[in-house]
Amino acid sequence: MKAVSKEKLPALLEELAKEGTLYVPSSSGDMSRFVPWKSDIQIDLDHNTTMSLKGILFPQTEVLYDYKFGEENTVEPPPPGSEKIIVFGVRPCDVQAIRCLDEVFLTRTYVDSYYKEKRERLIIISLGCTVAEDTCFCKDMGVNPVEAEGADMVLFDLDGEYGFEEKTDKGKEIAKKIASQLSETSKKKPEAPSFSLQVNSKGIVEKLQKMFERPIWEEVSQKCIGCNTCAYLCPTCHCFDINSKNTEAMKGYKYRTWDACLGKDYALMAGGHDVRPSKVERIRNRYLHKLLFFQERYGMFLCTGCGRCLRECPAGMNIAGFINQLEGVTVDG
Amino acid sequence: MASSEQNPLVPEMGTITKIIDETPDVKTFHVTTPNGKPFTPKPGQLAMLSLVPVGEAMFSITWQGDDYLEFSIKRVGVMTDALHEVEVGAAVGVRGPYGNSFPVDIMKGKDIVFIGGGIGLAPLRSLINHCVANRDDFGKLEVLYGSRSPADLVFKYDLFDNWPKVKDMDVYVTVDRGDDDWKGKVGFVPAYLEELKPSPEGKIAVTCGPPVMIKYVLQSLEKLGFSDEQVITTLEMRMKCGVGKCGRCNIGSKYICLDGPVFSLAELKKLPPEW
Ligand SMILES: Cc1cc2nc3c(=O)[nH]c(=O)nc-3n(C[C@H](O)[C@H](O)[C@H](O)COP(=O)(O)OP(=O)(O)OC[C@H]3O[C@@H](n4cnc5c(N)ncnc54)[C@H](O)[C@@H]3O)c2cc1C
Ligand code: FES
Repeated sequence: MKAVSKEKLPALLEELAKEGTLYVPSSSGDMSRFVPWKSDIQIDLDHNTTMSLKGILFPQTEVLYDYKFGEENTVEPPPPGSEKIIVFGVRPCDVQAIRCLDEVFLTRTYVDSYYKEKRERLIIISLGCTVAEDTCFCKDMGVNPVEAEGADMVLFDLDGEYGFEEKTDKGKEIAKKIASQLSETSKKKPEAPSFSLQVNSKGIVEKLQKMFERPIWEEVSQKCIGCNTCAYLCPTCHCFDINSKNTEAMKGYKYRTWDACLGKDYALMAGGHDVRPSKVERIRNRYLHKLLFFQERYGMFLCTGCGRCLRECPAGMNIAGFINQLEGVTVDG
Repeated sequence: MASSEQNPLVPEMGTITKIIDETPDVKTFHVTTPNGKPFTPKPGQLAMLSLVPVGEAMFSITWQGDDYLEFSIKRVGVMTDALHEVEVGAAVGVRGPYGNSFPVDIMKGKDIVFIGGGIGLAPLRSLINHCVANRDDFGKLEVLYGSRSPADLVFKYDLFDNWPKVKDMDVYVTVDRGDDDWKGKVGFVPAYLEELKPSPEGKIAVTCGPPVMIKYVLQSLEKLGFSDEQVITTLEMRMKCGVGKCGRCNIGSKYICLDGPVFSLAELKKLPPEW
């Protein structure tokens, strides 16, 4: 396998940055996220980031089009970008999340132009995990914690050096560009890490199909304060709202923002009809979307086991705990 | 349907060419674009209209002409208030057509009873007019419609003038509360339905209205012997994108904007009971 020693990583990143906009994981205070690389940046490859790379493809706010009224009425979407977007150090759970977002934004009749335009420019360089944190459960959600299926290139932490394996044509192209920085290593790929958190997701789809009306929803939603932290940190949550902003009397722009399903008026309609009037219905919809509805529609979980919502929820909501709680639930037939 | 290469979130700019006052809070709008009709929808399909600086909302396309689409819009909030204030010539954005449509092919040759309440006649009207325009493809047509008061009846020209003249078509109108001039029926739609007792034989029932009305109409139809396959309805949920991406309009694993808004009762019963 090709590899680079850890000391030589900065030089390699400098090389990568010549190919496009390079994003690397970096911490500031308690938060870490992917930021554009600069030579003096502090890279944090020890832990997964607080914010996933979702915002690079699907920004928190994004202009859909500018509008102008007057003699002529025009709407003008922003021009597509041309630079490659290279994201370095993406964990396998977050690569899996991109596969979920690809299904949403690129399939089923309509293609989201804004997402597609960035997705085509995206090159994912993943970093396989050698340590699982105590909130990690990707393996139990069907993710390979080392191989990062869906990445263009995968990095392995080999003690003192990083091994490289290219997975796609895009990955091969990038590998060529950095070939002079790499040398051959005889070290083997690391073993999958051991997980302290075990989640039993076997058979939950079939079970949840029969559990729409159950007291468990009342019980599991009690703690929720509806703050939507889970949705904002979730690498797969893709709901959005659309609004407009006037910059002048007859001019402005339409934009979308991340939205989240635990808000009070999320499903409220004209005439006061609300199909999800309390947090019981809203949590049920959220958990079922993650664990059942997305499976029914796209054949995969909309939860990758990244553990962010468990770690950051101020009220202690725990979807992994919920899945394990299902073991004790019996449904007939 | 829009091709997948078009940007589905960007509207085409059009203008309002005609406004009809239907009731104190419902107006009908004709919308066209410099290139003529924005698209040719099927009965039951939807479009996103935007008064660009104000907002965007989803509406049923209630009918279409050679060069315009028609929408009937009830004033309920920010965007619809603003729409009710505009005059002919105003600029409006339009994108679509969205959603599935009424299954006209399986309705061919059958008798059809349409059951509507309030603004719920708007989505049904595209189908009713389709049946009228292709009269020989369908059996007997019956429309049962109700509103809160005589002043709240929408499409009075159709209810009292156009439709009753159509061959083998009957129109039944009721109001919750009458007034001094009202000589017609007073009472709720589901009760009138049970009184009229349409036979389910060779018939399809299509219903749309406020959630409470739908609930009781479905019960009445069941009592009258209609099977779940013979009952068709359209659903409404909050919508933002209209193209199955923003996640706003789900019921179970279905997005109403894309997989709906038209469902048979048999299909609905397979979904979680959130409708
Ligand atoms: C499939 C479908 C078909 C529809 N067809 C018609 C139609 O033919 N004629 C018609 O008059 N209306 C129709 N509507 C409803 C219409 O979309 C709402 O009345 C409109 O969005 C309200 O916008 P607003 O800005 O005026 O209200 P807001 O100021 O946004 O809100 C006023 C109230 O309406 C609720 N609301 C906001 N958006 C929606 C929404 N999309 N659906 C329902 N309630 C909403 C809010 O929660 C609030 O209670 C349809 C809706 C759907 C989803
Ligand atoms: S309105 Fe966005 S998914 Fe239906």
